[in-house]
Amino acid sequence: MTVRIFRSIFLVATAVLLACFILIFGMLYEHLGQQIQAELQVEAVYIAQGLAQSGESYFQGLKGTNRITWVAADGTVLYDSDSEAAAMENHADREEIQEALTNGSGQSTRYSTTFDERRIYFATRLSDGTVLRVSSAQRSVWVLIMGMLSPVIFIFVLAAVLSGVLASTLAKRILRPVNAIDLEHPEQSETYEELAPLLSKIYHQNRVIDSQISELQRKQAEFTAITENMSEGFLVIDEHTDLLSYNTSALRLLGAEAAGGKRSVLALNRSEGFRNAVERSLSGEHSEEIFEREGRYFQIMANPVSREGRVAGAVLIILDITEKHAQENMRREFTANVSHELKTPLTSISGTAEIIKNGFVKPEDIPHFAGNIYEEAQRLIALIGDIMRLSQLDEDSLPLEKQPVDLYALASSVLHRLEDAAKKKGISLALSGQRTMVSGVPQVLDEMLFNLCDNAVKYNRENGHVRVCVSTEQEHAVLRVEDDGIGIPAADRDRVFERFYRVDKSHSKEIGGTGLGLSIVKHGAMFHNARVSLESELGKGTAVTIVF
Amino acid sequence: MRNQFDEQLELLNVELIRMGALCEEAIGHATRALLEASAASAEKAMAVDAEIDQKEREIEQLCIKLLLKQQPVARDLRVISAALKMISDMERIGDQAADISEITKYIKKNENQSKVHIADMAKATGKMVTDSIDSFVKKDLPLAYSVMRYDDVVDDLFSAVRQELIGLIAEDSRNGELCIDLLMIAKYFERIGDHAVNIAEWVEFSLTGKHTSNEGVQA
Repeated sequence: MTVRIFRSIFLVATAVLLACFILIFGMLYEHLGQQIQAELQVEAVYIAQGLAQSGESYFQGLKGTNRITWVAADGTVLYDSDSEAAAMENHADREEIQEALTNGSGQSTRYSTTFDERRIYFATRLSDGTVLRVSSAQRSVWVLIMGMLSPVIFIFVLAAVLSGVLASTLAKRILRPVNAIDLEHPEQSETYEELAPLLSKIYHQNRVIDSQISELQRKQAEFTAITENMSEGFLVIDEHTDLLSYNTSALRLLGAEAAGGKRSVLALNRSEGFRNAVERSLSGEHSEEIFEREGRYFQIMANPVSREGRVAGAVLIILDITEKHAQENMRREFTANVSHELKTPLTSISGTAEIIKNGFVKPEDIPHFAGNIYEEAQRLIALIGDIMRLSQLDEDSLPLEKQPVDLYALASSVLHRLEDAAKKKGISLALSGQRTMVSGVPQVLDEMLFNLCDNAVKYNRENGHVRVCVSTEQEHAVLRVEDDGIGIPAADRDRVFERFYRVDKSHSKEIGGTGLGLSIVKHGAMFHNARVSLESELGKGTAVTIVF
Repeated sequence: MRNQFDEQLELLNVELIRMGALCEEAIGHATRALLEASAASAEKAMAVDAEIDQKEREIEQLCIKLLLKQQPVARDLRVISAALKMISDMERIGDQAADISEITKYIKKNENQSKVHIADMAKATGKMVTDSIDSFVKKDLPLAYSVMRYDDVVDDLFSAVRQELIGLIAEDSRNGELCIDLLMIAKYFERIGDHAVNIAEWVEFSLTGKHTSNEGVQA
């Protein structure tokens, strides 16, 4: 803009200067012509007086630049200062001479045939009827200009430089207020009032943009807050599988590190399930897959994002389903176990009954066989009872009210019931602690305690010890059942609370039990909001602590 | 023009990751086919091998197109030429996984199999391939070097397996057929390890411009 203003000003200045020169020259030319004519007139008067006093000899002493011609009344040239008079043609037809003959004086400006140049003539009629003519070459405009060329150029250059400097300063000065406008705060700028509408428009647009930006930022922050607080991984990719957006959970679940720049989502994970989900979503289908990474299971849900009828990318959600996966496995195992556990006694009952039915049994042996059937049926009943209790605990639908229970008294009664079994293996039972009240369902607590103590006796050595301790620690009732029996191998410790899980996989009959004991303890504790912890060392014994 | 070039380079990168993932998959299936005597896994390994061959041709064409049309120089040229070399190693890995699967069809589950370290070999080479692809994906030079070093582990395992198989044959010559099959599988695993090393070397080349196996020649 500065350049443009400068150029305009400079051009205008130059054009004005040129026009001035042309006009001045034109006027000068005109003025000079008139001046020459006046000079010629004066000179003609002088010469006429000289001629009247001295006659023709006057011409001899005359010296000048102008051409002097003396013409007789009939047009014959009597004298000419620049040419031989005798050789000259009759001048009667010359415009200025004719005019002088009729009016006393005459003038003209024309091409002289004698000198072949433009000349100015002035003629006057003398008293004797002859005509005296004085003429001078009219200097042409070019001659005039040429004569004045160097000063003119000097002036022109000077004027041009001056106008250039002025134009530049002026342009800068005009633009200074415009440049000084603070576009962030146009309303505070002092500038030309012609710019005021523009500035106010800018001001309003600034405000609109500001509010839009803050709105966008708020939305972005909202989006980030939502995605960042998701425990699920969230990824957005474009159609070339390049990552557009992701949350930290996604990086954590995929075990990737944050990195700037464009990169493919396949660089984060390339397992089969993940790849299939990505590829299928980019071909326009919703897909769900499960993939494994470092021993954990993840579910990926991929949804295509379409724009203008074609897939422009995909949104991926990743869930950690390790626990769910493990639970599903457990459920499958549970079903298998339960069928197995139910079938074994039934097979035995059915077999024994069949033998009796077919009459292969002597009457005296019948009580023995019936005893077998009875034992197996009891086992079945115990098992089904356990399963029912477990499912009641599971569903929190125990039909019993909670009431204050003395753990110490309960432990004492449980140990009393186990005395016979303990005596058979020479195991000593010990109870320590004091009266401790908890709020609970006596039947469930009894069952839990019985299962724990029963296990402590069952999985013990000959002449082992079982210690039960009831105490209060930090306002919590604590029940601890310790034995110095066979212990639980480290690999099984986490799993003993699972249903039907047995360290001894042979499901041996001699130990008995349903495999549900510790599971009932765990669920009973959960029902009472208590915490169960297990410490064990193989060959040295096991301690189970319940903190109410 | 430049933009399109960058886009195609990125495509090359993604395609290489895909092909690498297919190689891992092929080895995984082959290993399962061997250790779990799963015929379904063997079939899958062969199907994946076919996919790998297809991918190799695609990437090859992409590389040649890039070389001819864009005439890359310096780093880009290195990346593309390394890619061209890498895919042939990947393709070999796929072939060998398919070969292993082919042999597993004729091996009956036999307790003698568990006496040799073949499962360790399968695991070790699987790790090498995964690490070599990882070093490419993450442009991780130290990881590439660790793959090159890890080859010794696989080589040692191969010698151990060989000794064990000799012992088995000496014990009972009826083990001969199984042992020969297992030896071939072990050899294939050993070769897969070598290809993983090659991939790691090309990763090194594309990142640094130096190729380990060339050092002897240059010196």
